[in-house]
Amino acid sequence: MEGVGLTRLVHQVRGIEFGDRLALADGVLTVIRDDAAACFNSPGLASVTLSVAAPGESARIVKVLDAVEPRTKGPGGGGIFPGFLGPADAAEVGHGATHVLRGAAVVVAGYLPRAQEAVIDMSGPAADLSPLAQTVNLVVEFVPADGAPWEDVDRALRLGGLRLAAHLAEAALDVEPDAVEEPLDPGAAEGMPKVAALTNLQTQGTFKDVFVYGKSFAGEQPRVVDPGEIDDGAVVSGQFGHPSLKNPTWVHQNHPVAAALRARHGVDLCFAGVVISPEPVAMAAKEDISAVAARVCAEAGFDAVIVTKEGGGNADADMALKMDALEDLGITAVGLFAEMSGIDGTGPPIVVPPERATAMVSTGNYDHRLSLPAVDQAYGGERVALVDQPATDAMELPTAVIYCSLSCLGWGRLRALV
Amino acid sequence: MRVVHYINQFFAGVGGEDSAATGPASTPEAKGPGRKLANLLGPDHQIVATVWCGDDYAVGTAGAMDEILTLIQAAEPDLVIAGPAFTSGRYGLACARVVAAATAAGLNAVACMHPDNPGLDEAGAAPVVASGEVARSMGPSLDTLAGAARTLLLGAELTVDDGRIGRLPRRSVLDEANAATRAVDLVLARLAGDRDATEVPLPRFDQVTPAAPVDDPSAVTFAFVTEGGLVPDANPGGLESARATRWLRYPIEDMSRMETGEWRSVHGGFSTVFANADPNRILPLDVARELEGEGRIGALMAEYFVTTGNGTSVANARRFGVEWAADIRRSGARAAILTAT
Repeated sequence: MEGVGLTRLVHQVRGIEFGDRLALADGVLTVIRDDAAACFNSPGLASVTLSVAAPGESARIVKVLDAVEPRTKGPGGGGIFPGFLGPADAAEVGHGATHVLRGAAVVVAGYLPRAQEAVIDMSGPAADLSPLAQTVNLVVEFVPADGAPWEDVDRALRLGGLRLAAHLAEAALDVEPDAVEEPLDPGAAEGMPKVAALTNLQTQGTFKDVFVYGKSFAGEQPRVVDPGEIDDGAVVSGQFGHPSLKNPTWVHQNHPVAAALRARHGVDLCFAGVVISPEPVAMAAKEDISAVAARVCAEAGFDAVIVTKEGGGNADADMALKMDALEDLGITAVGLFAEMSGIDGTGPPIVVPPERATAMVSTGNYDHRLSLPAVDQAYGGERVALVDQPATDAMELPTAVIYCSLSCLGWGRLRALV
Repeated sequence: MRVVHYINQFFAGVGGEDSAATGPASTPEAKGPGRKLANLLGPDHQIVATVWCGDDYAVGTAGAMDEILTLIQAAEPDLVIAGPAFTSGRYGLACARVVAAATAAGLNAVACMHPDNPGLDEAGAAPVVASGEVARSMGPSLDTLAGAARTLLLGAELTVDDGRIGRLPRRSVLDEANAATRAVDLVLARLAGDRDATEVPLPRFDQVTPAAPVDDPSAVTFAFVTEGGLVPDANPGGLESARATRWLRYPIEDMSRMETGEWRSVHGGFSTVFANADPNRILPLDVARELEGEGRIGALMAEYFVTTGNGTSVANARRFGVEWAADIRRSGARAAILTAT
């Protein structure tokens, strides 16, 4: 029987530079600037500008949209980001081997309507809080084409970012990986409790949407996916609300709950799978989807489920309903919640708490203030919209603005406590 | 040591609801419940001033806290005591804000109210001790308050043993393990039978009892309140698109509808295209004016209140509610329509 997930050929990237050929040597990724920019050729975009922002630099990226980890399965990008770069080939996606450029990311930044201000500081007190402050980033800034509808700009950026990520990873095709991560052996955890991830995807219309196999997941039903499918980019983010509470494509690719379960597979539990679920807008739909999600988990025979969300207060309801529905079916539920307890941390931490399923992990307080130092260089825009200050200024910002700082998928170490 | 006592207009003997708009004042002696409190504090401590204010003025007037704090500071207190406010919402809010402002100004302070008082969360980092539900429980409430005051005047911190209520501040810290790893630990703890393990205590929300239905809508003035972020097009008040810390008011007195182009939703939580195309979708003034013209509702309040309900902390939302209620009550309106997005 084939294992769970796929084989990751991991190449550690420590630097990115521009040059005259695409190459990966000694941890340095060399990129041909024009080839990289050509990934964004589209009627929706007039031009793009590429820069490198590395950990430790006095640099700030503002108006961050999506971030993508460079990955490929072979020349031409087949099997990676299915639905966007190629067909949803069931024999290919989620199987075989995938090259992973760990430590590198494509980060798209700039103004889109409805995108809430999102900030990455590559050094200073906010750097510990964002996964994209730990990666060497190829930052893509853009100028929309004259008169292009914003929806077209959004689509062009998403497709361009995925193309660029797949293109960059081709540098690793003939390079010996630094590490090989094998699929899990299902037999190694026989008799251990079956624990799964239930991953809510925020699906609330244009600019607040998540794509599965290239299509909006809005209106879809919860379903089981193989962790390998997520590794190969079956889930792509187009969700630009709540910067601290969003799960960009990079975080899905590195699904932290899947990683944590994987680490314990055969030790004290069996990593039993991932269920993805939409987060609809209306309360009745939230209730319906939660009931379906709980049934899917019961039919799969899970003993326990770790539930995660994406988005602000209303997404707490999706969590609470699913957790209670799971407990009602006898399945242990644990949820990851960002707290919204006000600047001084004394308010009620959760907007819609579960009633019966009370096992909650904290990912930090949304309203906690951070003092960020002035920086030498800013990308993504001239100003930080929230405080209307030049982007390079020293400024005080709520944790809510720091990209993925309260990662609902569990990437971060932040938590709140008394 | 020197103690300043804050109370409302009712306990100061100035008057009831009719005097709720009275501004702050001070007298250099114990007053109302302060007389018994002074006895309980004992000979080492003295109430050197009582500062009082009308509840509507205290919670509904910009700058009220600055005025009250100035009166308090003039008496050079070692400790500020506010209440007991029991379950009275506006009084509790005022007491909470007084101790929060006093604490922020570097003074030692304690408030006293019932745990269900909506003002409780507004005290911020300042301590609050429990009172009974109603003024009938004044005696035991003052015992608790006096004990807490003596503890604070000794330089000690208050704990639940002193009757302390409210939430202790939850601080953001970096754990050694990431949240996903801690979630797996929590799963294993729960599967092993620990049914109480959690990192987040269940929040306690107060139950709001709905007001009685309006008997005769045709005889009543209605207020419009919205969390839809609808403001004049230029957003002159700078309303936030998310995490609102304030609410604003705008006149609608001479208008028959919300004209397209003059109003805009700054809400960051939904696509505002349809709201901006016809702002009556957020604030249905057009329909309300028709109902008013037909005599089916009495009248509309001259202003509407607006904030943004997007990632707003419950503490702020609760404060907005108390302030809106005070304002609407003062205006004479007796019903409110809250449009939500």
